[in-house]
Order: sequence, then structure tokens, then C-alpha cells
Amino acid sequence: MASQIFAYAILGLGSGALIAGTGLGVVLSYRGSGVINLSTGAVAMLSGYCYWALATGEFGVTFPTAWAVVLTLLFSVVVGLAFELGVVRPLRRQPPLAKLVATLGVLLSAQAAIVLAFGNTAHPQPSILPSGVVTLFGVTIPDYNLWMAAIVLAAALLFAAAYRWTRFGIGTRAASENEGYATLYGLSPNRYSMGNTVLMALAMGLVGLLAASIDEVDPITLILLIVPGLAAAMFGRLTGFTTTYVAGVVIGMAESILIYLGGQSWFPTSNGGPLPGIDELLVLLVLIVATFFRAGKIPSRGAIIERRLPRAPRPVAPLRTAAFFVPIAALAMWALPFGFREGLVTSCIFAVSLLSLVVITGYLGQLSLVQLGLAGVAGFLVSHLSTNFGIGFPWAPIIGVLAAAALGVGFGFPALRVRGVQLAVVTLAATVALATFWFSNGSWGAGVLGAPVPPPSLFGFNFGTNASFHGLGGGEPSPLFGWFCLIVLTVVGLLVANLRRSRLGQQMLAVRANERAAAASGVNVRNVKLTGFGIAAGIAGVSGVLLSYSYGSITPKSFSALTAIALVAFVYITGITSVPGGIFGGIIYTGGIFAYALLDWFGLQGNWLNLAVGFLVVLSLVSRPEGGATFLFYGKRPSLWPRASKEPQEGLPAGGAETGGGGQTDGSLRPQHVGVEVTS
Amino acid sequence: MSPALQAAGVSVSFGAVRALQDVDLEVGEGKLVGLIGPNGAGKTTFVDAITGFVQASGSVRLEGREISALPPHRRAHLGLARTWQTIELFDDLTVRENLAVAGGRPSLPESFAEIVFGRQPRAERLAEEVLGLLDLEDIAEELPSNLSQGRRKLVGIARALASKPSLLLLDEPAAGLDTHESLDLGRRLRRLVDGGLPTLLIDHDMGLVLGICDEIYVLDFGKLIARGSPEEVRSNPDVLAAYLGTSAAEVEPDAPGTGTAWAAVAEGTAEQ
Repeated sequence: MASQIFAYAILGLGSGALIAGTGLGVVLSYRGSGVINLSTGAVAMLSGYCYWALATGEFGVTFPTAWAVVLTLLFSVVVGLAFELGVVRPLRRQPPLAKLVATLGVLLSAQAAIVLAFGNTAHPQPSILPSGVVTLFGVTIPDYNLWMAAIVLAAALLFAAAYRWTRFGIGTRAASENEGYATLYGLSPNRYSMGNTVLMALAMGLVGLLAASIDEVDPITLILLIVPGLAAAMFGRLTGFTTTYVAGVVIGMAESILIYLGGQSWFPTSNGGPLPGIDELLVLLVLIVATFFRAGKIPSRGAIIERRLPRAPRPVAPLRTAAFFVPIAALAMWALPFGFREGLVTSCIFAVSLLSLVVITGYLGQLSLVQLGLAGVAGFLVSHLSTNFGIGFPWAPIIGVLAAAALGVGFGFPALRVRGVQLAVVTLAATVALATFWFSNGSWGAGVLGAPVPPPSLFGFNFGTNASFHGLGGGEPSPLFGWFCLIVLTVVGLLVANLRRSRLGQQMLAVRANERAAAASGVNVRNVKLTGFGIAAGIAGVSGVLLSYSYGSITPKSFSALTAIALVAFVYITGITSVPGGIFGGIIYTGGIFAYALLDWFGLQGNWLNLAVGFLVVLSLVSRPEGGATFLFYGKRPSLWPRASKEPQEGLPAGGAETGGGGQTDGSLRPQHVGVEVTS
Repeated sequence: MSPALQAAGVSVSFGAVRALQDVDLEVGEGKLVGLIGPNGAGKTTFVDAITGFVQASGSVRLEGREISALPPHRRAHLGLARTWQTIELFDDLTVRENLAVAGGRPSLPESFAEIVFGRQPRAERLAEEVLGLLDLEDIAEELPSNLSQGRRKLVGIARALASKPSLLLLDEPAAGLDTHESLDLGRRLRRLVDGGLPTLLIDHDMGLVLGICDEIYVLDFGKLIARGSPEEVRSNPDVLAAYLGTSAAEVEPDAPGTGTAWAAVAEGTAEQ
């Protein structure tokens, strides 16, 4: 048995090398520009597709493998340059959170572009490594596993050496410690950032090429390498190349060993197969351990200027606004043809989802990517309570929403210690783990086929999508269900607007702006955060319930990490800090009414929308971080909003001046000192 | 009756650096107490220790009640209010909302009513009074980032006052203000204290501190080196040495030629 485990560990070297490579990409990005780059996996995917297209003659010319490899690496450099000039440099002075969201936009656009160009299916491509085998302990192992581990190790050692001994590496370290001083010493932070981004792209190009030995190229697998890759990079404190490499390879080997253990008789099973999602759970665990025990020592960057989240305007007259728009939407539910009606229903549901992000990110300042997973928790509970226990509307939804809220508070606890970008990383892994461990589980979740959800009815009155009442356009979904969703959205929207005006909401914004000052003003930061997480999770649960009712069945696919990322991207451009922003995001969201109109009138698929939104996220972060809808609904000129460029005094990173033994920066005594020195 | 603030043996270490060593300080009821010292003496660290933002040893009593084990927000609930050298306003909230955050802790039913029924949080009478007291009514609906440095300082003080404190800690409220503004601030502070609010004032503006305080403590390198009335502190050779950077033996306080800094101080007080 021991030898079997060892053999499986060696078998995991290949995927471990890919994870390690992705982790190296994350480290390079972080060291170069302070970006936690969630799009490194997407860059690897682009290179993988480039290699596939060149090596198989997709564009009419079939290149020999060696040529295809060289051209792919050149292509990676171009991608790196574009990433640097289009994303990293314009966002250099934005806060880390904005940079991270921008990389989400890149990921979304890259994925949409690939699907539009080459479809959703996987494509086989020739391996670049020799296909021999070695036999270890009686187990035959393809030796590309060893090659991959060796090549990525060489890259890791090369990076580590370059950082320690070359001028480039030392300059990068200087620039990341303090951009201001580095500039004074004649170093150009821009040039170092550029160099690192290109190195990152090259490393990811290598990952894309090496992956050819393991997997056919598809538009999802390489992208999601970012989750274990981040876990490895976090273990290396986002700075250590060799630690990251070791952590990545170990994760890959552990996953491989889990495959072996899954075949053992004692391994927990579900519907006849081994329990799914254990490896995703493992990655989540590694990430949590890494963030808690290693992240404290992640060096933060001494950036010149730090800007915060866009301001959260106070709603002026939410009831009046609702009284104007809701009847129009209600009428549309009845009058529109079924395709548009379905789009409007979907828009309402995702608007509720986005309002959950408005609370947790817009009000509380915490970027959480697990909200969609929490929606799934409520949705799956509704399905199982209905089909297995005969509990229907309204009790099943109530239980589902409460469970989501409780789980949300549970996720809030790590957020007390982990902040900002690290929370985003952990919650992304949590979403992936929830989707595979729970939602894909044959017994508790839906397996692959989907779990049925009976339509909602109260006192024998069915108001589900299949209700007998049809609107002007005929067909399903019934306007009754549409009105139900609209009512729910209206209620949630008004609650979220009221929250902003309430003192609890003010406390949330106080916490968002300045935790220390909030605590000094008597705000119990911990309770406010946990309450916010609970409220946001409850709202997410509501959207999950609606989603499960709207399809009549529920599948893990609806709650994937990519959907979670797309939601954040959409609401970021419409305004993550306000209720109208959330509702606008729902309207334009893929599958919603705007997307349906694009499809119906112009034949444009939803992926075109994702492609555009990915770009727009970056663009809007550069030009107007408040988001569009905020601007529309509050009618104030953008110039009234705080701009860091007008406030040179705000440039000091908060906490820099007032901590550390009364390091008073005020210079009012200095003239007196000078005076004494001159006279004495 | 126990004093508003009684700190005994307060020490703070950052690694090997002892930022504060056994500091004893008392703010009596209705007293305005000053805390001065050169750059890096540990004044802000002392405020952080009292309010619970750094790990400190020693005893801190607020109106006789030991608070040194409590987290910052609990200390605030008990009546401790502070301002920050770097102001630290809530940039996303209007001035009035800034005061509201400090002014009231909503109970669970109150929050429920505000969120579910949309009940408007009632305007805190105290907050309105404070706005009036500091002449801030005209900017109540402004965002802090649209205000001048001086105005922001005042909003910071207003926010501290809005929590209805039993003790006020002011960390360099006059830094960045011009002489006129500083004088004006001093008059307002004196009125507040005379109205019954004990206050600890930290500032570099010697004119301000020596001019309005009842009692002054002097810190240097984390240790208290003097305590007394403004007159006593002004003539204390240790204090002079600390400010002039030479040992007491080498300095003759009244000797001509050494008093450039002191002359400025004296002029500052004369203006009051």
C-alpha cells in the first residue's frame, strides 16, 4: 500500500507542477505590482489555446511542435505586455481591491473570447514532452510527470536567483517596498512592473504548454488552476518562489493520493462513487491555514496613493422610486412575449443576488465571492426539503434562507481577521468547494443531473413558473411567478435602501471607512461585520430560492465560480455601493432581459456581453470607480466625489503615521530646534 | 469622588523598544490637563494605551472603574472619547452621519424598525447641539473630504463630543491650524472644560497648552519627566533640557542666548 501511495504521489507531480506554475505567476504579479492576479490561470488558458491552434493547424498552417512552442511563448509575452499596459499600469494607484476586481474582469473577458472563438468543447493537442514511462514500485508512471515537475522547478529556482542577485530583482524589491523612494533613487517602478508582468505571462505560457501532456485544452480547467495556485502562493506569502513551488507540488500530489484513496473500500462514498469534492475541500483548507498563519507576514506595498471604494450615496426617496418603477415592471411581466418575460424574471432574481453584494461589499467593504455559493445552499435545501421531507413553501424557503444566513455568519468569522483581497481569495475557494463537495454530491446535492424543485404554492394556489395564468404573450414562465419575484426584489431593495439610512448601515460604512476610528466611536466592529455578513447571506439565500423555483430544478452549474466572478464584474460596473446599481446589474446580467434583447434583436450571445463587461470593468475602474448607475440615479456630478488627486494629504496610507510609538510627523517644533542650533 | 482618569504604571513595548515606561497620570473632574513632549516622546502611544489600541500594562481607571482589560468600543461606551492626530473621519459619511455613528448605539428593535419600516433614526439632540457649539451647522451635510483641514479637525472633535463623553482625549487638535484658529480652538476647549468635561490635551502648540491648561505633564523618551502648573513646567530645567536636546546641567534657563525656543513659548503665552 505504501508503495501504491508513493506511486500516486509521483503521478500527481504533473498537475502539481501546473499548480506550482500558476502559483509562481501569482507571486510574480504580486511582487511586480501588488496585484493579486486571479487571471493567471486565464493567461495560461490563452497560451494553451494558442499552442493548440498552431500545432493542429486551426488557422490553416500546422507548425512543428518546436516552432509552435516558441511562437506560443512569444504570444505569452504579447499577452503580458497587453495586460501590463491595459490593466496594471492604469490601475497602479488604485487600492488592492480594485486591482483584484480588474483581474476578474480580465478572466471573464478571456473566457468569453475563447468560448466565442472556439466553442465550449475540449480540443486535443500534441504533448510537448517525451511520452516514455518509468516503473516505480511496480506501478507504471508516464515520465512527463517528472519532466513537468523538473521544468517548473527550474523556473522557480531561476526566479528566486534572479530576485536575489540581479539588478532587476533587487530593483523590483525596492520598488515594491516603497515606490516613492525607489523613484527618488532613479528606479522606474513602471519598468519593473512591466518586467514582472511579462515574466508572469511567460510562466503562465509555460503552464499552458505543459498542460498539453495532461489535459485537452478547454475554456475552464486552466482558468480554475488559479484556486489551488493561489493556495500555493499564499503559502509562499505571495513572495517566496521556492515555498510556492513546494506547496503547489504537494497539493498536486495530495490530490493524486486522494484519487487512490477514493478507490479504497473504507473511503466515504456517495451514490456508489467516492465522495466528490474532497480535493477542493483540501485546497480550501490549505488556503485558510495559509491565510491565518502565513498571511500576517505578507509584505504590503508602500504605494504612493490609496483610494477607497466608491462612496455609498444615501438613497433619496426609495419608496417613491419603487412606486414609479415597480408598476411598469409588473405590467411588462404580463405584456411581454415569453422570452423577454423570462429574461425579466431572471433579471429580478440576479438583482437580488447583486443586492447581497451591495450590502457586503458596498456597505461593509468586504469583497466576498461566496455569495452565490450561499444562494446555492438555500436553493438545494429548498429542493431537498420539498422532495425528501415534503416541506414546501413557505417553510422550505425560510429554512433555506436562515441556513444561508447562518453559514454567512460562519464565513464572517474568518473575515474578522482576514481582510480585503485575502477574503476574496478564500471565498473564491469556498465557492468552488461548495459547488463540488455539496452541490455535486449525489446524495446531498444534485449529482450531475439536477435536483427537482416543486413549484411554490400557498393554500393550493400555484404561483410557480408553470401556473395556469398566462400573460398577453402566453407560454411560461407565468406572470404570477414573475410578480412573485418582482415583489421579493422590491422588498429586498427597499430593505437594503433602508439599511443605508439606518444607524446600523451608518456603522457599516464607518467600519468600511476606518475600523479604528469606528471602534473609538463605540462601534462594536465585530458585531457589525457579523451582522452584515448574515444580512448579505440571507439576501443571497433569497435569490437562491427564487433561482431554484425558476428552473424547476437545480444544478451545480448555476453556482459555479465563474458565475460568481461574473456577478461581481457586472455589479462593479453598474455600481456596487447602491441599490440602483444592484438592480441595474441584474437587468444587464447574462440571461436577463437585456441579454435576451441582444440575442433576439441582434443575435448576440451572452458571451459577447461577458466579453464586453470584462473590458468595461477595467475601463470603469480606471475612469469612474463609483459605477454608472450611482451616477445616473443620484444626479450629482462626479467632480463632487472625493478624488485622491485633489487631496495630497490623504496620500499617507492610513495607520502609517499614528502608530508606532507616537511618531509625530508634525514639524512645528523643528524650527525651534534649528533656531537653537544656529544660536548655540 | 474618583478622578475622571487615573492611569498608573502604564507601560508599552514595541518589540525591544519601550515606548512608555511606568507613566502615572491623572485628570481630575473639571480639569484641562496638558501632555507635552518632544517628537517621539510617546504622547500618541499614551492615548492609544488609554483607549485600548495598543497592548499596555498598568492600570487605567475611568471614574474609578478599571478599564484596562476592555476592548476599545467598550471603553468608548463607558465615556472615553478621543480624536486622532491624523483626524480619521468616516470619509463615506456626511458630517452629521459621522456624529450620529458616535452618538447612538441602536438597539436591536431600533435597528429592526429602521430597516424594516424605514423609520428615520431620530436626530440626536446632542449631535445638533455639538454642531451648534462648534459652528458646524452649515457643513452638516457635507462629506469630510470636501472640507478644509481646520474644519475637519473640528468635525473630529465634534464626533468625540457627540458620544457624550465623560473624558475627552485630544491628540494634537491644533496641528495644522494657524495662530488665529488655534486661539479660537483654545477658547472653545476652555469653555467645554468649564462646562464640566475633563480633558487631556496633547499638542505641540506651546502657546495653546501653556495658556489654557490647569496642569501639565511632560513626557520624554517614554518617561514622565515633569508634572505641574504651566508656570512650574515652564521653569523646570529637565523640561528645558528635553526640548533643547542638552542635559540640564549645561542649560541655564534664564541665561540669555539659550532661550530661542523658550522665548517663542513665552511670547505665545503672553498673547493669551
